[in-house]
Amino acid sequence: MTTTAHTALLALCLSLAVLLGSTGCGEDEAASNDGKKIFYDARRSAHKSLDPPKQFDGASAEIVMNVFDTLVEYDYLARPYRLAPNLLESMPEKSADGRTYIFRLRKGVHFHDDPSFPGGKGRELNADDAIYSIKRFADANVNLKSWVLMAGFVEGLDAFREKTRELGKNVDYDALEVAGLRKLDDHSFEVEFTQENPLALFPFAMTSLSIVPREAVEKYGEDFANKPVGTGPFQIKQYARRGTMILEKNPNYHGRYPNEGAPGDAEAGLLEAAGKPIPFLDEIHMPLIEEPQPAMLKFRKAELDWIGIDKDNFPNMAFKAEDGSFHLKDEYARLYNHYAEPSLAAEYFAFNLQDPLFKDNKALRQAFALAIDTPAFIDLLLNGRALPLQTIVPQPIAGSEEDIGFEYYRQNRELARQKLAEAGYPNGEGLPEVVFEYRAATKDARQGFEFIRNELAEVGIRAKASFNTFSAFLKKIETGNFQIASSGWQADYPDAENFYQLVYGPNRTPGPNSSTFANPEFDALYEQTRYMENGPERFALFERMAEIMKDEVPLLLRYNGIAFGIYQKNLHNLKRHMLVDKPYKYIDKVGEPVL
Amino acid sequence: MGAYVARRLLQMIPIILGVAALVFMLFTSVGEDPALVALGQHATPEAIADLRAEWGLDQPLWMQFLDFLRQIATFDYGRSFNTGEQLTDMFRQGALVSLSLTVFPFLLGTLTNVALGLLIAYFRGSLLDRISTAIFVGSMSISYLVYIIAFQYLLAYKAGVFPIQGYETGLAGVRYLLLPWIIILVVSAGPDIRIYRTVFLDETQADYVRTAFAKGASEASVIFRHILKNALIPILTHVVISIPFLILGAFLMERFFSIPGVGDIMITAINTGDFPILKGLTVLIAIAYAVFNLITDLLYAWVDPRVQLS
Repeated sequence: MTTTAHTALLALCLSLAVLLGSTGCGEDEAASNDGKKIFYDARRSAHKSLDPPKQFDGASAEIVMNVFDTLVEYDYLARPYRLAPNLLESMPEKSADGRTYIFRLRKGVHFHDDPSFPGGKGRELNADDAIYSIKRFADANVNLKSWVLMAGFVEGLDAFREKTRELGKNVDYDALEVAGLRKLDDHSFEVEFTQENPLALFPFAMTSLSIVPREAVEKYGEDFANKPVGTGPFQIKQYARRGTMILEKNPNYHGRYPNEGAPGDAEAGLLEAAGKPIPFLDEIHMPLIEEPQPAMLKFRKAELDWIGIDKDNFPNMAFKAEDGSFHLKDEYARLYNHYAEPSLAAEYFAFNLQDPLFKDNKALRQAFALAIDTPAFIDLLLNGRALPLQTIVPQPIAGSEEDIGFEYYRQNRELARQKLAEAGYPNGEGLPEVVFEYRAATKDARQGFEFIRNELAEVGIRAKASFNTFSAFLKKIETGNFQIASSGWQADYPDAENFYQLVYGPNRTPGPNSSTFANPEFDALYEQTRYMENGPERFALFERMAEIMKDEVPLLLRYNGIAFGIYQKNLHNLKRHMLVDKPYKYIDKVGEPVL
Repeated sequence: MGAYVARRLLQMIPIILGVAALVFMLFTSVGEDPALVALGQHATPEAIADLRAEWGLDQPLWMQFLDFLRQIATFDYGRSFNTGEQLTDMFRQGALVSLSLTVFPFLLGTLTNVALGLLIAYFRGSLLDRISTAIFVGSMSISYLVYIIAFQYLLAYKAGVFPIQGYETGLAGVRYLLLPWIIILVVSAGPDIRIYRTVFLDETQADYVRTAFAKGASEASVIFRHILKNALIPILTHVVISIPFLILGAFLMERFFSIPGVGDIMITAINTGDFPILKGLTVLIAIAYAVFNLITDLLYAWVDPRVQLS
């Protein structure tokens, strides 16, 4: 028996040694690319669906935006963010009454080759594809996640959605006309909106409203989510939900690199490729790496080309200068380039204005706002990687403090104590312990609350936290069973309206106005600004809205995070765009990384 | 024996039903609402209702529970809420991946750890025993995560001996598994060898050992022919009961090395509130645990004729 055991052990050891020797351990994946330009970028989570209207998560969108095209897209280089034509020849032409837009498609755009087309050859895109895709986006049996962003926009489209809900799955779209969608010819159609609305075109840039070919959807059915066929700059070469997804270049792609950029782009070399056909990369390799440690190790071995820096790695590699700018430490600046870009999200605490403590007690809410030092919170707990919000609109969205020059509360403990006394609680006497609701029980949430608790305690306010699951948190908000909720809002589109709607009276819970704030003057201003073009007139009204929010404090404004990332020196044309997470089609890779 | 097995299998039914009821109650009462998680900031009442209807969550709870029992009986767990994947395929593929990660170090580790446990027990009280005890107790006090991070940094990143992460099927994928295997072997060595050493030491105190020595049997003969054989029951218990967990994979290992096994699937499902995955896996693990418990009992009778199955 011992002999057998020893023999088995020896055999196992030998096979281990042979495997070690024969499999080329530690081989640099990035080196074996056969002269192709291969871009390596990790996915942080697995995608849910690659069928455009069925997805609305970041992991799916980053693939969908590279396989499909939308009618319009966000200009890659322009700031503030603005729309540009993508599958269109030019931006849609607006009618005199401002309600109808004509969409003219580019000619000669083809879908990827696929067996769903006759002869397997991708056919040319036409107006029917666009109308079909819009109808499919509105189908209640297909789109359960992002319809809300277009609800009420297009004449007859809401009625169409209700009809699809009644009829169930596999509705014949040809039998259901939408009054506001009219084909003009093979390459143009018009969309009639319910009212003049400068926001009307934003939904047409969402990945969930990408243009899909009817043949492929009908051929693959549910499996279209795994076999996407679009007109995008890349197509799927290797499908893997949990392994490495590989995209390969669409050699017939219609797009070109932008000719114009924002100030400073030319100096940064971002216009060297102006007007050239895209994409530049041959393949995108996207391994699923859910933990930051292995992703960082792979990046440092140049097995990944681009990575966001997490909170733990930031102090080792980078720092924030006195003037607020971000830099890599010398040893890393030699190896990598970096970016720091505001993330288009607002973090805030929402007061429940139905709670007896906060209802009709403006001074108490102001005391909270004056007690907390948000810049110190940012420096201590976020590596300085955030901007304190001065209005609910984060930079660089038009109408933020950059445009209206507004300033929110700064910490003033003396004034906070005065407000507390004015509220009927001198030095906090008689004030019950208030409860902060959090949407997760993460380490960051706990540390963040400790900071807030200490700040409030300094002026005599006692606070405790309740850490919830996300759905339990949302249920508390929905039922009004909370006092203060730690909340946030990520921009759906780059317009101030998307943030001011958070305190618009009619949007009260179960809408996004979780504080249930209702102020007639604010609501009237919101309605007035909602459909205005950006400009001094609109910004002046925003300033008044910001003043009302500051005075009434339905929300305690906190910060807008800054996305910080690094990339290899041999990457070109990378400019972080917070609405286009993975702009692979513009990126180029020349030469070798610095090691 | 046939009657015994049949009786034990029948006894499993109420156990599985109990587990199913408990799992169902837990997920429907205290778990995340998957519709809310999926919709996030756009969780309007209409969107929530639509998504809940799509996933069958608008049905009365008793109907959902009956459907869950049907799934258990047919081993058809439906589709994932989040990805729409067929769960039966997902579990099968995930289990194969997890087994490729766990089986080899399990077999090799069991052989070497039993051998080392026996060796250390043989030299009980010696310097080797004291040093090894100190090393193993020390190694057991270090978190699994520390081993993963340290080995990944030192052996994969710094030394470049292994790939940092990844997974491939077939022989080409072995290079990605070598480092996880080494970590599993190192982490399991401490607790396993300590257990086996204790088991062997208990046996050396037994009367039959003293009798064997009194009859003039050699030390090697006593150890390998008598002690090893008699120590098999606790070893079998430890080994066989570990088998269901091989299918479950190694949660942290799969996460850090991007190995798409059952452990990784389960963590993702917990994060996204994917009930069908969580319910299916929990019940499958309970079934596997019950089955391997039965196998352990049958093996007792096989290795020790004194054990009667009744």
